[in-house]
Amino acid sequence: MKTRFLFPYWFRYLGLACFLVHIPIMLLFKKYHDMDSPDPGLFSGSHVFFIFTTLMVTIGLFLIAFSKEKIEDEQIMMLRRDSLQWAVYFNYIVLIVVLIFTEHMEIGHIMLLNMWTLLLFFIIRFQWAIIRNNWSAKREG
Amino acid sequence: MKNNIRVERAIKNITQADLAEAVSVSRQTINTIESNKYVPSTILAMKIARVFGKPVEEVFTLEDSD
Repeated sequence: MKTRFLFPYWFRYLGLACFLVHIPIMLLFKKYHDMDSPDPGLFSGSHVFFIFTTLMVTIGLFLIAFSKEKIEDEQIMMLRRDSLQWAVYFNYIVLIVVLIFTEHMEIGHIMLLNMWTLLLFFIIRFQWAIIRNNWSAKREG
Repeated sequence: MKNNIRVERAIKNITQADLAEAVSVSRQTINTIESNKYVPSTILAMKIARVFGKPVEEVFTLEDSD
């Protein structure tokens, strides 16, 4: 099936690697640097590190979310579309609720998290839809 | 939309996996079509009908609710 805007299947592993590799890097950095008082200024050491790790997680999640499945057919496309719609709805509901119940000093943090939550919700919902589909196929044989 | 893929498969003596391979979709997709959980696209419906050597209307039929 012809698909647009999707990465090849193996890119999901690249994405997973990006996501997993950032964890030890982050832990090591936290161990040797004081995260509470970062160097000031644009493109300072801690700012570059922040950009690097944030991008690593984002690209990782992005590749996991938008890689092709092993057998990419029209039903998978439908599940993907449904999950994406569900994820956008859910993400905005969470965002609105969080916005109401937090003080405005924390809004920057929420926006940063929001960079990942949409992708995360989508990945979870899409994988769940596939698993559920496989279950029902197995049950009915 | 209803279909009689299961019957046609039995006549032709092929499994879900065989049919899936013939129309290049996953076995799960054939399974969900057979159990009326998923309505295939026109292209896929025509491909399936071609495997059975029958017109689409003989394999897929509209329901009153459609």
